[in-house]
Amino acid sequence: MKIIKSLLAGASLALVASITQAATSGNTLASVDPEADRLALQSFFQKRFPQVPVDDYVNGIYALDAGSREQWEEIEEFPPYEFDVEEGEVLFNTPFANGKSYADCFANEGVGIRQNFPRWDESQGKVVTLESAINQCREANGEKKLGWKKGKIAQISAYMAYTSRDNVFDVQIPNDGAKAAYLDGKQSFYTRRGQLNMSCANCHVAGSNVLIRADLPGPALGHVTHFPVFRSKWGNLGTLHRRYAGCQSNVRGVSQKAQGEKLSNLEFFQTYMSNGLVVNGPGARK
Amino acid sequence: MNKTISLVAALMMVSGSVAAQTFDEAFNAQRGMNGKGHSFTFEGKSYTTDHPEEVAAAAPANAANAKQLLADAKAQYAKALEVDFGWTLTKGLLSSANKALDAGEFRKSMELSARAQYHSRMGVAQYHQSQQEWLMAVPN
Repeated sequence: MKIIKSLLAGASLALVASITQAATSGNTLASVDPEADRLALQSFFQKRFPQVPVDDYVNGIYALDAGSREQWEEIEEFPPYEFDVEEGEVLFNTPFANGKSYADCFANEGVGIRQNFPRWDESQGKVVTLESAINQCREANGEKKLGWKKGKIAQISAYMAYTSRDNVFDVQIPNDGAKAAYLDGKQSFYTRRGQLNMSCANCHVAGSNVLIRADLPGPALGHVTHFPVFRSKWGNLGTLHRRYAGCQSNVRGVSQKAQGEKLSNLEFFQTYMSNGLVVNGPGARK
Repeated sequence: MNKTISLVAALMMVSGSVAAQTFDEAFNAQRGMNGKGHSFTFEGKSYTTDHPEEVAAAAPANAANAKQLLADAKAQYAKALEVDFGWTLTKGLLSSANKALDAGEFRKSMELSARAQYHSRMGVAQYHQSQQEWLMAVPN
């Protein structure tokens, strides 16, 4: 009798606990807790790959798979993005027609500031990524916007990331507007899309370091620190939003707009998850 | 003691009713096992494993039906895009359905439209399901 009562009491407590947990798990503006999310994600990976130091996650899959790392380290001896960084520097320092330059648009003249992007811009009421800030700078100075996914914008972004290497990501969520954007990005990350019914998390949380055909998806922790990247598959440099579009297409979903609200919020969430890790872009990936 | 046993029995009944198969689960299981064109019984009623789009595509192959089905498929695709859950193959299916219609291949056009409409209906369903389920994937 006592055993039955205890079991019933235990079952009731478990039910209440699960409901309480569901109610405070961060799916509303009131309950979402970015720092708790970040620590939970970090803890997930630490439990799953206990031998990998947190700082090493900036290297993506190369932090987890020794064979891939060996190949990547050889690639990094002559980095394929090197010419793009040099070209990015030239573009960055070339004055606009009005005589001003990118340096006039950014704090610290645009040097060593990658870790502060994306950021919540209260006056615009939206997340501003580094690439969108580059194009806003161009427009403010009478220049045409650059394409979002590759080419010059990726080169300028690569140069700016390069000047920021080893700086620690410090994305801020200063108010409810920023928190709403973060929550939207979080939901996007965990939402299944496309005919293959897969979310970012399917591959990059539960599925990280698990073969998908011949590829090993990288971990979500440290996912964005090395962008823009030179992908061997592309044969050139590309931005994070180019990669997002590719992922969404890979699961047979219609891609969301590069630098639109949804993908910018997704980048905001993902970068917050990597707060505390260093900038190591641009990177080289398969 | 009797009260406790009754309580346990009641909890088990509730648990059993919660676990009962829904129509969608029954349909999907039957469809998965038997494909289309199969009959099955659910809660005393008889159903087939055909999707609504397949039923529509089985109508007589003529220009009017093909045009109607294509229009329905485009409308459903618009709904999927509206919630941002379009699938990549749908646009191509609609384009092929349109070409088949222009070429007078009405049966082919109707089958392609039906597939496109199904994709879009599933995209919208995926959107609604994801609203309920995304949080379950978050590590905590």
